[in-house]
Amino acid sequence: MKLRSLLLWSLLAAGGMTASAHHSFAMFDSENQIRLSGKVTEFRWQNPHIYIHLQAPDPKGKMRHWTIECANPGILNRLGWKFNMIKKDDQLTVVVAPLRTGEAGALLKQVKLADGRVFGNGAPAGPPTISIEDGKPLPKAATP
Amino acid sequence: MMRALLVTIAGAALLATAGCTSGKEETATTQDFDPKDFSGTWDRYPLPTDAQPDPTTRPPVPGAIPDPPLKPEYLAEWQAERKRIDEANAAGKPIASHYTHCIPDGMPAMMQAMFPMEILVTPRQITFIQEAYNQVRRVYFNDTLPAVEDAEPGFWGHAVAHWEGNDLVTETIGIKDRVRFRNTPHSASMRIHERMRMIDRDHIENEVTVEDPEYLTGPWRWKWVYQRRPDYKMYEYVCEDNREFADPETGEARLRIDTE
Repeated sequence: MKLRSLLLWSLLAAGGMTASAHHSFAMFDSENQIRLSGKVTEFRWQNPHIYIHLQAPDPKGKMRHWTIECANPGILNRLGWKFNMIKKDDQLTVVVAPLRTGEAGALLKQVKLADGRVFGNGAPAGPPTISIEDGKPLPKAATP
Repeated sequence: MMRALLVTIAGAALLATAGCTSGKEETATTQDFDPKDFSGTWDRYPLPTDAQPDPTTRPPVPGAIPDPPLKPEYLAEWQAERKRIDEANAAGKPIASHYTHCIPDGMPAMMQAMFPMEILVTPRQITFIQEAYNQVRRVYFNDTLPAVEDAEPGFWGHAVAHWEGNDLVTETIGIKDRVRFRNTPHSASMRIHERMRMIDRDHIENEVTVEDPEYLTGPWRWKWVYQRRPDYKMYEYVCEDNREFADPETGEARLRIDTE
């Protein structure tokens, strides 16, 4: 009975995870996340989504201009983000789910600021599957 | 002498007042909240990030919302559309929804409390403010609804409320045809009934019943529960500078990326 209740709960939680306020995130490949390090060219704190523009090499070493989608100011404020915590020319490391099309767009999973603080991107965006420290796969999250 | 009398009267009044206050406090101890004061900020319950609620201290988790009991002539089309959406998501090519165009929920979807919801109770009305899309819904106490044919359609429609004991009972009509909860079509005759009550000082339950004799075989019922979010200050949500768009050729929700 307890196991069944736990399973039901994890299903409910998973259902909630896929919900997005503004649009489905299905265009992003969350199964093949990548780690990027580079310099911020613009930080747009706005609804319905926040954007980090990052000049960073892709995993093959080609320098690209990334448009990285985050959740919205309400969700991220509630997680402890601040509108001014990222600035132009900041050096960032991110874990993202890239667009399936191969274009230089992505959904943020986790960000590490220049001062070492690490922030997630809220429940709808889902968790990182690789380490922001070294890009290696993380152990799968335990069932709640 | 006169002054002494006045002091005595004032003292007696003070004692009487103190007695009244004490009585109120005793009442407040047995029920430490006003069951008709929904004022405050509320989240849906549970949030996806919440730990599994402890059933000994928290209300039961509401069940899943059932599929709409559509008449057979509408059900097939509804199922086909859901399949199309599911397949598009599975293929990584999500179909643009009204959200992609920054179109708000309207009723009844806004009451799911996607983001925090503020409730203001004032003598004339109860006002629901949903953070997502800056939605505002005004429900008027002891008012009458217009006839269906006179109800100008809108996102939040026309709504009235009255108290039945400690239950707030609302009725809503006049929802735009294209405002569809879970893609469910409806007629101008759709009525949304809600019965809201405070389960305790920190939880409100909302029993929703949708009736539409033209499209539904019977009432469509579900329950939402809200949990208090103390001291929360609502954020603005202006869906401007939207960088998602519906691809005009495919209808897919796309991310507008900067040219490399």
